[in-house]
Amino acid sequence: GGLTFTFDCSAQNHVTSKLSFTVFYVKLYTEIHKPFSFRYKDLHVYQLEHPTQVLEWTSGNSVCVAGYSQSKNEILELRLPLKLLADENKSLCAERDFKVSHGGFTDGPVRCLTHIPGTRCAVTNDGLSSDLQVWDLGGEESDVIRRTGSIKGKRSASERGSRIAARPSSAPQVLHGAQISDVQLTELASGETLYKLETDSADPLSSLQFVSDTVFLAGCCNGSVYVADTRTSAPPQLSHSPSSAESVIWWTDAAAGPHPSSRRVIRVSSSGQAVVSDLRNLGGAGCQAQLDVQTPGRCSQVKVSWAPTLDDCISVSGFSGVVQIYNTRLWGAEPQEARPLFEHRGHAVSSQQTDDSVPTFVTSHIWHPERPRTLLSAASDGSVHVWDWVDPNRQGGSPTP
Amino acid sequence: MPEIKVTPLGAGQDVGRSCILVSIGGKNIMLDCGMHMGYNDDRRFPDFSYITQNGRLTDFLDCLIISHFHLDHCGALPYMSEMVGYDGPIYMTHPTKAICPILLEDFRKITVDKKGETNFFTSQMIKDCMKKVIPLNLHQTVQVDDELEIKAYYAGHVLGAAMVHIKVGSESVVYTGDYNMTPDRHLGAAWIDKCRPDILISESTYATTIRDSKRCRERDFLKKVHESIERGGKVLIPVFALGRAQELCILLETFWERMNLKAPIYFSTGLTEKANHYYKLFITWTNQKIRKTFVQRNMFEFKHIKAFDRSYADNPGPMVVFATPGMLHAGQSLQIFKKWAGNEKNMVIMPGYCVQGTIGHKILNGQRKLEMEGRAQNGPLLDVKLQVEYMSFSAHADAKGIMQLIRMAEPRNMLLVHGEAVKMEFLKGKIEQEFSIDCYMPANGETTTVTTNPSVPVDISLNLLKREMALGGPLPDPKKPRTMHGTLIMKENSLKLVSSEQALKELGLNEHQLRFTCHVQLQDPHSDADTLHRIYTHLKSVLKGYTIQHLPDGTVIVESIVIKVSSSAEDSNTKVLLLSWSYQVIIEPLLKKSFLYPAVLANPPLKSDVISSFWVQTLLQFPDSNKHCGITES
Repeated sequence: GGLTFTFDCSAQNHVTSKLSFTVFYVKLYTEIHKPFSFRYKDLHVYQLEHPTQVLEWTSGNSVCVAGYSQSKNEILELRLPLKLLADENKSLCAERDFKVSHGGFTDGPVRCLTHIPGTRCAVTNDGLSSDLQVWDLGGEESDVIRRTGSIKGKRSASERGSRIAARPSSAPQVLHGAQISDVQLTELASGETLYKLETDSADPLSSLQFVSDTVFLAGCCNGSVYVADTRTSAPPQLSHSPSSAESVIWWTDAAAGPHPSSRRVIRVSSSGQAVVSDLRNLGGAGCQAQLDVQTPGRCSQVKVSWAPTLDDCISVSGFSGVVQIYNTRLWGAEPQEARPLFEHRGHAVSSQQTDDSVPTFVTSHIWHPERPRTLLSAASDGSVHVWDWVDPNRQGGSPTP
Repeated sequence: MPEIKVTPLGAGQDVGRSCILVSIGGKNIMLDCGMHMGYNDDRRFPDFSYITQNGRLTDFLDCLIISHFHLDHCGALPYMSEMVGYDGPIYMTHPTKAICPILLEDFRKITVDKKGETNFFTSQMIKDCMKKVIPLNLHQTVQVDDELEIKAYYAGHVLGAAMVHIKVGSESVVYTGDYNMTPDRHLGAAWIDKCRPDILISESTYATTIRDSKRCRERDFLKKVHESIERGGKVLIPVFALGRAQELCILLETFWERMNLKAPIYFSTGLTEKANHYYKLFITWTNQKIRKTFVQRNMFEFKHIKAFDRSYADNPGPMVVFATPGMLHAGQSLQIFKKWAGNEKNMVIMPGYCVQGTIGHKILNGQRKLEMEGRAQNGPLLDVKLQVEYMSFSAHADAKGIMQLIRMAEPRNMLLVHGEAVKMEFLKGKIEQEFSIDCYMPANGETTTVTTNPSVPVDISLNLLKREMALGGPLPDPKKPRTMHGTLIMKENSLKLVSSEQALKELGLNEHQLRFTCHVQLQDPHSDADTLHRIYTHLKSVLKGYTIQHLPDGTVIVESIVIKVSSSAEDSNTKVLLLSWSYQVIIEPLLKKSFLYPAVLANPPLKSDVISSFWVQTLLQFPDSNKHCGITES
């Protein structure tokens, strides 16, 4: 669009006007440069009745969301629109809505939800204690999600709730814990503890995930990372925090690639520091960067995630109303400021939140397991966006009008 | 108990045949009379034989209400009124009354003139049918007869769409038809009073859907049109009915203005043009923004959109054409399609559903070679090279919208019309939890019965009220229910409550005394006199504060209850106690001691079996008495 400026061109202030114009132009250029370079192949915008902090795949085309208000909430399983998933004849498919395929009610907030692969079962935690709730997501015959049981946790009340990880296995089981010394593997049917992590540390957990069938990674809020194998009671491999700074919180994600060389760990701190290391040698030198994020942000719920099919790409959200994609290949051994490869600003831009005093922030996001550049993101105003972004370095997307 | 019955004869689906029967307060009302676009046989119309096998429908229905002009809500109207036979009143809003016959006539032309069907309604039948229509204004209460009244509310969805409140006495039902809880570019959002109906009958087309935002939908539509225009292509938009065509016209008009585009936009003569005329006529039914701008400029008089002439289709260069009908089964849209289909730069955008058998349906299924009607078999096929886009713009309430409407109307029961076997147990649970009301989803032909609690006004004599006051207790509170004793007299359509004495006097009846007796058997080796004395002493100890007398004639009297003892003829150890009491309200305080008291209160008037079991309970505590305690009643 064209910009017009009117100047008071009297002799005295002519020079100053020109000067301020130059400064303004530079500022304007940087402002414009960022948003206008981002292109989407697809963008769908939905509004849930209540915001969600969980986004979890239950299949290649279904995702679970759940409310986190203090009292009653809903867990919903949503089927993604056919239009998004269609590769051939996309234009012949008019279906661009989410379908609520299953739904259920909870008595408390849902802060964490993990689907157990290969089953119609999900496990949740309310963030208030380390107890877990077990849910049957329903099948063909019913559209109701029902609570089928619970697992007693070690802490009745804890500052942060449990983290939950699951892996495919013949008898459904979950790895869970609120702090590193609590981490245990529990069989759902019997409630039996199959494995316990041997450590005395009481560091609260921020991340918990399996990196292979038996090996798991537990990331602590202080930045230290434990790697252990559920088959042995041997003490875990420990990697200390990348920084000694107090009062920063760290979040962790491991890339679970097929080759050992692709198994890398990223740690992101509440101050925007990001460190990548090799899972086989967590203490060794990795690459790092200072992320282009708002700090101190509203970072109670930072989420960092490796792209499942794109090499070296990570996504970060939780600092503000945006989701950013970074290419870690461009990072070096020294922490330099990194620019995002892509930034999804939709939640902040199109927020329906009426109260301007509390800005909208992204509560969660997740990559589609197979579609390389498709992500889902959710925000505090209840919006959920599904977007397929275009890599600015490999043009091919068409501009939006 | 009075009840309301609801039976759907057809589904509330996009392409279904909406038709719902409601029986309320002795009145039978039919809501909508739609046709199914997917069938060519009898199944396309609702099964009216459900109402009557051979009689005229007029004898069974008090009125018929049409919610809006879509054919799945009014397509069977001439068939029902002229071919099956119905002469009663038909209600619809002014815009629906104006637009409905145009659509019916268009539909008739396709079926009879193009497809060659014979057993179908004629133009004259449409005209005759429309003569029976009584127009409705929004928020105006219309008295169908002395007891039945109806009131229309704004429903959004399409021009003239209405929800309707049906009331008989204190019982009422709301039927939504199709509605939309979010305003769009040309219509407002549905709205209704807090009318607290006994049943809210709602459509549920998008009840399990979370819709993609309107903005994304519109952006994609504009992007497609723009892309095609940029590469010099022609864009055909076949439009189904009126509603969405106007929405898309406004959208393109605004976009053309903003982007300063020069390619011409046309709309075909016929439906759309007529429709625009009606939108102008019924400007009060559009949304606030359109009504406001109407003062300066009529939003339906477009700057960039001009009337189409068939010769324009051959003009070189890009253009956009809105043409009817929407499914490419005949007429102008089909002619243009045939002309443009061979060029891959061109595009056809289908903004709605297409029925099986139409060209629209075929190309949406990816068919690229089409046999054209009227051509010899094995003739050349039409090669479809143009780009085909399918987009849905229908405006229905989703789950959130349904919840919003329930919050507005506060119904006592919820009924979702849904003919298909889609499971909506979760939504039902959500509605029942959030509003503590029952939610029903009957299938076609299945009747839902809801019991109502209509308040019936009754006159009470002053004497009776005064006597009730004299009995003490808190003064009557008009907001709280209160039990009182009296006789209800129903006479010449009026009800009054009087004292029993007055009722006797008015009806010229004599007073009868009711006496209840019962026999209780116990095992006791003592003599009859001793047994009686033992009972006397026992009762004295358990029923403190009551008048208990042992009379010399061999009876014990507790207040007004008489107890006698005799020995059984076969076994002198078996004693038979005869209990006898008259029907009196005074017994109540006696029962207060017992846990039976609440049960008695819940079952007024006092039942003899309740009282006798109280005595059995009391006597069972009688020391030394054998537990073989039987009871016989007289």
